[in-house]
Amino acid sequence: MVINVGPQHPSTHGVLRLILTLDGEQIVACEPVIGYLHRGLEKMMERRPYRHNIPFTDRLDYLAALSNNLGICQCIERLGGVEVPERAQYIRVLLMELQRIASHLVFLGTFGTDLGATTMFLYAFREREMVLDLLEECTGARLTYNWVRVGGVPDDLPEGFGQKVLDFAKLFRQRIEEYDMLLTRNRIFRSRTQGVGVLPKETALAYGCSGPVARASGIPYDIRKVAPYEVYDRVEFDVPVFEDGDVWARYLVRMEELRQSLRIIEQVLRDMPDGPVQTKLPKIFKPPAGIAYSRVESPRGELSFMMVSDGSPNPVRVHIRAPSFVNLSVLPRLLEGAKVADLVAILGSIDVVLGEIDR
Amino acid sequence: MRDTEYNPLVYFIDGLVTLFNGMVVTWRNLWRPKVTVRYPYQRRPVPPRYRGLFYLKWNEEKQRLNCVGCTLCAQACPTDVISMVKLGKGTHAGVSEFTMDLGRCMFCNLCVEACPFDAIYMGPNYELASERRDASLFRIADLAQGGEEAVRKNIETIERLLAEEEKAKPAHAVHAAGGESE
Repeated sequence: MVINVGPQHPSTHGVLRLILTLDGEQIVACEPVIGYLHRGLEKMMERRPYRHNIPFTDRLDYLAALSNNLGICQCIERLGGVEVPERAQYIRVLLMELQRIASHLVFLGTFGTDLGATTMFLYAFREREMVLDLLEECTGARLTYNWVRVGGVPDDLPEGFGQKVLDFAKLFRQRIEEYDMLLTRNRIFRSRTQGVGVLPKETALAYGCSGPVARASGIPYDIRKVAPYEVYDRVEFDVPVFEDGDVWARYLVRMEELRQSLRIIEQVLRDMPDGPVQTKLPKIFKPPAGIAYSRVESPRGELSFMMVSDGSPNPVRVHIRAPSFVNLSVLPRLLEGAKVADLVAILGSIDVVLGEIDR
Repeated sequence: MRDTEYNPLVYFIDGLVTLFNGMVVTWRNLWRPKVTVRYPYQRRPVPPRYRGLFYLKWNEEKQRLNCVGCTLCAQACPTDVISMVKLGKGTHAGVSEFTMDLGRCMFCNLCVEACPFDAIYMGPNYELASERRDASLFRIADLAQGGEEAVRKNIETIERLLAEEEKAKPAHAVHAAGGESE
């Protein structure tokens, strides 16, 4: 029997269609159909000057817009050899980690709902609202922040922002304990996730998985550690790695990353120096001819941008490596032989965002 | 906290603990303050940096809008939202029309950052939804601080200043009139 899942389904954060071939309750084959959100962003970027492209990247992974902003800005900075002031780098790291918390909270909430723990959704989104309030106070927007610029950030942190973030961090540590009580120690949740959707290390490597999906399969690969950008080499944090590769391990990686993000935030706020936050750039920005490649650790994995310049104000070619796209490609392998009821658990645990898959 | 082999008794006790834990979390949350806002009747405070509807700043001292019609914001816009009609030139330049098609706008703040004259800002108004397509087109009277009245005064002030400048100019300096342009 062949059934369609989607294109509208709450656990995908977007429009994804899965064509499932079933044998009774078992999934025999799965074919993801993507492209419902295609906007041709890479081509659009080739038609515009470099710095006009930053707001478009908000629309890639719309749950972690700041990570995308940082990715493209780093790429342009490498292309043009632009220096970033130290304070701006600290602010960037602070915002990235807040963004990671917000994004993982969406995962937690929707993942809980998928598995029947509806209250988790309410609690996770309540705490996400606090992060969004903080980001709104700093950037002025709630979802499409557009708050990284080539050569820094547009403006300094608002007054008293650091204290508010620390207050949030203190409160959030207690809330993570509550999530643990609700989900991690939950008998039903554990039965539904442990041993389900096992992704072996070799498969994860072969498909090029990154982010929490790879780390749950025993690959200690985090761009923040293997190729530190901004000031990630100056802060202390651990990269959680689990060997099992099942849905449970992917969930645990993200829970641990929430704690590590809080650690980074506290260190960044402690060490942040004073100084300017943006480098002055000419009005018409023309980087020298060449190719630049940058990669950042977005909440979903390795997000990279490649830009080719020929010395004109517009890029000649832009390529985006979206982590969700690569992670989704492993889904048919994960679903082979799985039960239909485990579909939402496996799909939810990969945590794809269709905005960056379709681009 | 990975499970070992299936043992009905352990699972049963574990299930009871799960139930108890859930109740503890619910009990704690029962006493926390409500976070929901009954939106049309109650509103959240909007932070000062909020990026809502644009406004053109009114300069009370000079009795005109700060905008000089230099089109830097229009050039900074990735989606060509802004178009304007320049009024006069040189030191007393201004705008007579300033149109923004917010149907295309991403509220990305790039135009505000591009403005060297502190003329365009983003305000706290976020209720921009409408049932009509043409309601996304905001003209100068919708954008200027002070509305129609401000636009009228703005044009009056600039035209007066231009006329004064013209009068003060010596007759032989006509060819230098376009001197200081963009």
